[in-house]
Amino acid sequence: MLDTMRALEREGFEVTYLDVEADGLVDLAKLQAAMRPDTTVVSIMMVNNEIGVIQDVAAIGELCRANGTIFHVDAAQAAGKVEIDLQALKIDLMSFSAHKIYGPKGIGALYVRRKPRIRLEAQTHGGGHERGMRSGTLPTHQIVGMGEAFRLAKLEMVEENQRFALLRQRLWDGIKDIEQVFLNGDATRRVPGITNISFNYVEGESLIMALKDIAVSSGSACTSASLEPSYVLRALGLSDELAHSSIRFSIGRFTTEEQIDHTIKIVHQAIGKLREMSPLWDMYKDGVDLNTVAWVAH
Amino acid sequence: MAYSNKVIDHYENPRNVGSFAKDDPTVATGMVGAPACGDVMKLQIKVNEQGIIEDAKFKTYGCGSAIASSSLVTEWVKGKSLDEASQIKNTDIAQELALPPVKIHCSILAEDAIKAAIADYKQRHGDN
Repeated sequence: MLDTMRALEREGFEVTYLDVEADGLVDLAKLQAAMRPDTTVVSIMMVNNEIGVIQDVAAIGELCRANGTIFHVDAAQAAGKVEIDLQALKIDLMSFSAHKIYGPKGIGALYVRRKPRIRLEAQTHGGGHERGMRSGTLPTHQIVGMGEAFRLAKLEMVEENQRFALLRQRLWDGIKDIEQVFLNGDATRRVPGITNISFNYVEGESLIMALKDIAVSSGSACTSASLEPSYVLRALGLSDELAHSSIRFSIGRFTTEEQIDHTIKIVHQAIGKLREMSPLWDMYKDGVDLNTVAWVAH
Repeated sequence: MAYSNKVIDHYENPRNVGSFAKDDPTVATGMVGAPACGDVMKLQIKVNEQGIIEDAKFKTYGCGSAIASSSLVTEWVKGKSLDEASQIKNTDIAQELALPPVKIHCSILAEDAIKAAIADYKQRHGDN
């Protein structure tokens, strides 16, 4: 979304980027204060893909409607994981992604409210498909795939969430007692499938290398081409160092208890090995406050 | 991230991980990088009376390429004089480990670590 906002800025729009609190949640009072009479759209990511926290879109919807502002929600990581009732929620536009919910890649959907009516200007022109909103022959196979994925997600959601919660608790229980380990994001307002953990004094990418038979990702700069650590983690107020030391574990439909137990085992092994190699761990053990060190960065 | 076999090897079997005794007068330490950057390398060299580096140890907080670069460096400096060690170029390190462009800076940091360790030794022992 940020990239789209920057593109809009280049077109002459003014964009206000709101910081989240340390728990990853948007502060409603701050949002209200930031909204202006001429605010056209508020756009919120319902579930954050890096840390899994769930924003209070019901309350934000009320604020927007009261202000006459269009409310767009990115529900890519939320659909099929969190209850979404568009009759009850005052949401005008909602984005969905098929592949985030075990559907095919290359298709998504945009919900466009009729009452009150939202009018869209077509970005793709031609044959007038989708009531003129988006021209282009519809990929039937993709649509069916997406529809089926969502249908299954609705059937499985409650049971899956319970199962994920157990698996997630098992994972966290197996890891939380490691010294200097921190969970990122609010502890309760979250989806169970995404767990973001910082392992202090161990860099994220080196940890991923040790977890090579598990698909995890890191907020570390080393895993991005830009060498910047995750802006999401920094927005939580994490120091750059903790942001570099973070790993995202995702639990999904096909995750098993064995995989969780295996993950716990190799995380312990990897942390042991990497901390033995870490000069920062040494300094921490010696009682040195890393914030007081004069680093010679290049 | 596609790692070269050599990077993987150094990561799985790092050479010379550790620290020398704190009060050893023949040891010098170079520490470069910063936690905020995601890369910190500590390189220690043990220098004999002939001015030859007879042993080296490292500790690194950083990605696989950073660990490999510093591990390689501890192998390369052994048996070299301080002058010879200061000739080690990051491009040699990058080439040996087949580092992709986005990881070249790890080799630069490793070269900086050598120079910092040598500078520390010279400072402790007078420039000889």
